Amino acid sequence: MDAAVKTQRELHGCRSPSWQGYASLTFKYALLALTALVFLLPVFWMVSASLKGLQEIYAFPTVWVPSQPKWGNYPDAWNAAPFARFYANTLITTFFGVGLEVVNAALTAYALVFLPFPGKNLIFIVLLAALMIPVQVTILPNYLTIASLGWLNTYQGIILPGASVAFSAFLLRQHFLTLPTEILEAARLEGAGHLRMLWDVVLPLSRPVLVTALLISVVAKWNDFLWPLIVTNRLDMRVLSIGLAYLFDQEGNNQWGIIMAAAVFVVAPVVALFVWTQRHIISGLTAGATKG
Amino acid sequence: MDRRRFLIRSGGAVGSLILIACGGTSGGSVQQPQPTGAAGKAAQGKTRVVYWSSWGGASGKALQKLVDDFNASQKEIFVENQYQGTYEETAQKLAAALAARQVPDMASMSEVTWNKFYLNGSLQNMTDYFKSANMDPKTYVSSLIEEGTKNGDVWWVPFARSTPLFYYNRDMFKKAGLPDRGPKTWDELREWGKDLMGKGGAKKVFAFTDAKNYNAWHFQGNVWQWGGAYSNEEFDMLIDEGGAVEAGEWLRKFVHEDKMGYMAEDQSIDFGNGICATTQQSTGSLGGIVEAAKFEVGTAMLPEMKKFGCPTGGAGLGIMAAAPDERKQAAFEFIKFLAKPENVTYWSKETGYMPVTNSARESAEMQAYFKENPNFKVAVEQLPKTQPQDSARRLVPNGDQTIGTGLERILANNEPASQVFKGVAQQLESDAQDIKEQVEEKQARRLRTA
Repeated sequence: MDAAVKTQRELHGCRSPSWQGYASLTFKYALLALTALVFLLPVFWMVSASLKGLQEIYAFPTVWVPSQPKWGNYPDAWNAAPFARFYANTLITTFFGVGLEVVNAALTAYALVFLPFPGKNLIFIVLLAALMIPVQVTILPNYLTIASLGWLNTYQGIILPGASVAFSAFLLRQHFLTLPTEILEAARLEGAGHLRMLWDVVLPLSRPVLVTALLISVVAKWNDFLWPLIVTNRLDMRVLSIGLAYLFDQEGNNQWGIIMAAAVFVVAPVVALFVWTQRHIISGLTAGATKG
Repeated sequence: MDRRRFLIRSGGAVGSLILIACGGTSGGSVQQPQPTGAAGKAAQGKTRVVYWSSWGGASGKALQKLVDDFNASQKEIFVENQYQGTYEETAQKLAAALAARQVPDMASMSEVTWNKFYLNGSLQNMTDYFKSANMDPKTYVSSLIEEGTKNGDVWWVPFARSTPLFYYNRDMFKKAGLPDRGPKTWDELREWGKDLMGKGGAKKVFAFTDAKNYNAWHFQGNVWQWGGAYSNEEFDMLIDEGGAVEAGEWLRKFVHEDKMGYMAEDQSIDFGNGICATTQQSTGSLGGIVEAAKFEVGTAMLPEMKKFGCPTGGAGLGIMAAAPDERKQAAFEFIKFLAKPENVTYWSKETGYMPVTNSARESAEMQAYFKENPNFKVAVEQLPKTQPQDSARRLVPNGDQTIGTGLERILANNEPASQVFKGVAQQLESDAQDIKEQVEEKQARRLRTA
């Protein structure tokens, strides 16, 4: 009995505490803290700078916490450009952009994994090749296409070129390949069609990857700057990322406090979305782990 | 978020886009539609001018006020100000718009980007507009309007111009027992160096900066001061000989032997924190530097060596050749409005850019402003002595960074200037081939039509 307990403990890696154990634990926590610091420090700096005046931002040695928080930076930033309109535009373009991208990716990945057809590998190689092309290269051809369609300054002009992204299709395909074929065959025997298989079997089994793809897509669309800048000219069609640019001074004479305040309210929804969805990623990952 | 780094990177993309766009334009005689987007109610029944600008922040607001004032001042024309990002981003959009044949009627272009649009024939010759509007190009400060004038024709008018300026920490100068003025020559600054780092309490005497912070713009002045040049107008590279090498060597010794100079990532921040006693930065940064500094800021004209030398920077306005005549005429009306003394003064006071017309500089309002801001007055007094930059930085693709990274090797690695600039000159020469052909072609075409 004692022996059994001991082996179980060993299995779970929680041996009775020894100094080596403490040392290794301390080391792990130190690493963890360091990693957290690397990620959190810029965020902390953004928030703290959003409450500072210019002198405190430039001050050396560094002022970590503003002596007198300048809450006025927030309304100043909000009023510097029509941010309410930018918010609406960003929500619209991100929502439809992400929706189209993920639906597209799921269908593509499903076809590439579960449908037998000639030239499948060739198509996959083309997809991989598309993954290697930097976005900047496609900007001019995309612009010419959108302009000739008369879609400058329109939502479809902002959204459509980003509606198919090779990366999400690639990500989903790689995961679909790992799904156990038994479950899929069982579903097929039950008479499920392709859409049914995708919706009721493949996607629920792929939730963590799906959420990951969704998040990556949201962040990319929310932050996209160059394309919306190029394809829109008018203030009322601009998005949040360009709104931030409105606050910059051409000669580098920037009011960083106000810019950081705007940065805070521009990224806040994405951060909130991440906090809300991350449990899906984690629970999904552990669900896979226990299956063994 | 490092905007300057982004600027440089996007600058590289601009170059290639502009090259693509060049192939697509057909001399600019074809009329092109305005970028889509219905005109608002305010524009109904008026000639609508679409203007692509590059100013955000406080400057963006000041510009919008000028546009609103213009629209309210008359009934025939409606100017629509559309912000398009930095100078580089605006140029990139303009190149794409030319290729798609959806151009604005006028645009802001930096002292670097306008050359490319001039060379590919996208800009409108404004000489006839000046004549018919009874306006003399000499209204503008001569060194500035001459930069946009080629063979007697005006293509690009000054609007938001800046120059490098010498900044010094007056408190440190006082403590060091030095006169309250900038050094007359670089050697004088070097003589003062001991006192500044001793009694003055400065860690370093002077902060240079790095390539992504446009050190090649600042060094352009040094090269001229030592009697050299980056290149001539025929694209012969001169950076590896004479004054340019001497200037580079002086910098190297000042940094590595005298230990008085150094390369700062952002010289404004170091200067504001009292790390260096003096530095050189754009006149456009004056407001920000004064606001961030905890001491009395002094400004002076750039120190001389064999002679005075100072480049211009910033942006001007161009009219697109492809726009219909009616709208080009209307766009010029707006340019004329911007050149009125009261508008030049307003823009200059709000943004810190140099007053670009002589009448504005002499206006009572500007004179009163000088009294309140003697530092700004110094910047304006230096203006008539400035000159356009050499072709190597203005026209050669990536020339700014090629020279700038060479300078970094001198300032940071202590490599001899003659050796570094030899490599830089070779690089510039090979990068200049395309643009050289373009310039020659342009000249040949002009001779044929003349």
